[in-house]
Amino acid sequence: MPVTSFSLPPLPLRRRDLLIGGAGAAAGLLLPSLASAQTKLQVTEGNVAPLPIAIPNFVAGTPSDGEVGVGVAQVITNNLKRSGLFAPIDQAAFIEKIINIDAAPQFQSWKTINAQALVTGRMTRQGDGRLKAEFRLWDVAAGQQLTGQQYFTSPEYWRRIAHIISDQIYERLTGEKGYFDSRVVFVDETGSKERRVKRLALMDQDGANVRYLTRGSDLVLTPRFSPSTQEITYMEFGQGDPRVYLFNIETGQREIVGNFPGMSFSPRFSPDGQRVIMSLQQGGNSNLFVMDLRSKSTTRLTDTPAIDTSPSYAPDGTRICFESDRGGKPQIYVMPATGGPAQRISFGEGSYSTPVWSPRGDYIAFTKQGGGQFSIGIMKPDGSGERILTSGFHNEGPTFAPNGRVLMFFRDPGGNGGPSLFTVDISGRNEQRVPTPGFASDPAWSPLLS
Amino acid sequence: MKVDKTLIASVSLHVLVIGWGLISFSARSLEAPPPESMPVDIISADQLSKITAGIKTGEKDKPKPPVEKIADAKPVDDAVGKITEKKEIVTASAPEPPPKPVEKPVEKKPDPPKPVAENKPKDEPKPIEKKPDPPKVDPIAEALKSEDTKKPVPKPEAKAAPPQPPKPKQERTFDQSKIAALLDKRDPTRQAMTGSALNSSASLGTTRGTAATLSQSELDAMRARLASLWNVQPGVEHPEELFVTIRIRLNPDRRLAAPPQVVSTGSSSRYQAAADAAVRAVLQGQPYTMLRDETYEQWKYMDIDFDPKQMFHS
Repeated sequence: MPVTSFSLPPLPLRRRDLLIGGAGAAAGLLLPSLASAQTKLQVTEGNVAPLPIAIPNFVAGTPSDGEVGVGVAQVITNNLKRSGLFAPIDQAAFIEKIINIDAAPQFQSWKTINAQALVTGRMTRQGDGRLKAEFRLWDVAAGQQLTGQQYFTSPEYWRRIAHIISDQIYERLTGEKGYFDSRVVFVDETGSKERRVKRLALMDQDGANVRYLTRGSDLVLTPRFSPSTQEITYMEFGQGDPRVYLFNIETGQREIVGNFPGMSFSPRFSPDGQRVIMSLQQGGNSNLFVMDLRSKSTTRLTDTPAIDTSPSYAPDGTRICFESDRGGKPQIYVMPATGGPAQRISFGEGSYSTPVWSPRGDYIAFTKQGGGQFSIGIMKPDGSGERILTSGFHNEGPTFAPNGRVLMFFRDPGGNGGPSLFTVDISGRNEQRVPTPGFASDPAWSPLLS
Repeated sequence: MKVDKTLIASVSLHVLVIGWGLISFSARSLEAPPPESMPVDIISADQLSKITAGIKTGEKDKPKPPVEKIADAKPVDDAVGKITEKKEIVTASAPEPPPKPVEKPVEKKPDPPKPVAENKPKDEPKPIEKKPDPPKVDPIAEALKSEDTKKPVPKPEAKAAPPQPPKPKQERTFDQSKIAALLDKRDPTRQAMTGSALNSSASLGTTRGTAATLSQSELDAMRARLASLWNVQPGVEHPEELFVTIRIRLNPDRRLAAPPQVVSTGSSSRYQAAADAAVRAVLQGQPYTMLRDETYEQWKYMDIDFDPKQMFHS
């Protein structure tokens, strides 16, 4: 990848920059032995609010770098704000203007505006044409640098740099992996409702850099990323039955996966990217098959007089979840990845479909239909802890962010409009619309790019 | 007229019986057992707590009787020689008692153990006089002294106790007064000792009785301040793993004397983030103006637990 990174060492801090000097730190070492009879205080209620963070424009290393410095700060601000976990402070409130990121900022002036964290950075065009990006993340209250990195890349990748820095900040402050340096493949929809043109499209997770992968002559559905992020698999209605295809994003090459009689659909990659699991139509039923992409050998996983579809691997590859109507209504089942007895895990009212296993392994997301509504929800792989995150006229097709904290899905409000993409935290908070050029459906989130 | 002898006998017997009954019963009913005077001191709650504290240790005094026997001769001499003035105060009110104790001491010693007896024993009529005097001098000091004296005495004497117990059982009533007299004499001898001991005992009393306690309202106010500053991620998974304990040392100006220490442990990056958030809250919270000067000793060191579990129990 075109980005190389190095970590920035912590700055040597001058004592007056710190709330508590070295003497205090020395006293702190003695604390445990001195403290014999402390008063205990229990704090069990906190402030569930986004973390106030200040992100000034990155300093321009050379006079021509001002624009990219502003852009990087804006992308980071937007990412963190959309996550719902951060509250970027309006730049108009800033007191101190950062002009040198190699000196500690004046923490008091950031404390005054209630910033808990501060990001400073610098963009510098190098002599060899590359772009150098440096940033430091500061804990304002403690007056400490939490992390610092520098990256080199070609100038056109400045947005990726911003996403990578966003991930660094997110991870350091929340303790969880970020998801900003990732992409989303989806079905772009244009035209009237009667003559809707559907194209495969690819974009950054924040909606930028949209690329169209197909021309829209054929109907495409259910695109899915491979773990390598270089390939996608999807279903396309060609001249005959719908087929599962592989598509290489970099080269634009595509190929049919296997050559089966009847329809093949709802494909998904295995976690190692070596296999594709999908449904094959057999008469009025469908069963699950897995195909090894190198040997092209196909293995049957289910053999039931029912419709088994929408398989999804657990992140460790040992189990799969899928949808089946073998019990009457569509429900979610879990079984070993090699086939075998399947265990039903969904028992709520209504029917369940499109299960997808979280990359963290802790939840399975699904679409639930019942009561005239389509809902997006999650449950644990044993079927417990079901939680509906959003409901409405039509919500469908959940896909997990790489860190398993956020779901993306598409929503069709009904009427003459069309579907659009939304994200929601797995806690059910922070629902956000994802900007797309037109109508959009069937999103699939990529793994982290780096 | 014949007089029936049986009738005469009957009448005479009845008269005798009734007469005896009148005399004997009426006489008994008139006997009013002299009530024992109970010394009553009105003391404050503080004094009570100190005295009761003393009694707990004082139970060991039972072994004292044996000591008293051995000590009979010695304590008197010592007391006179060492502290004449103090003795005079005690004896002035009770000149007569000393003779009595000398006669009966051997037999009566057993039961006396209780400190209260000090004042009463010497003279039943005079106790009223004696009681007022000692309290005037130092009610609390005496109580302290009695406590102090009891502690040292019991242990060494405990060995002697077994042989003598049988004797005390025979005569109870007199023993108390004699023992009390002995105890009184000892107290003065130990007053010299208590003089130095007074300081330590007095200081103990103040810390227990008058030291300000950290009030619930102070703690609540501090808790509220920290809660308002403690930034918790919404929808965090496994909050029970993110329990963070921060140890702080505060200066009297209510600011941190040293950087907050994370004393709980956790290795995950999520835990690190949670610990950072807790430290930020503690740093931002200073100065903790809700804490009072009087309670400084209690908020000088604090362990603060940040526990997000209850926030996400659903």
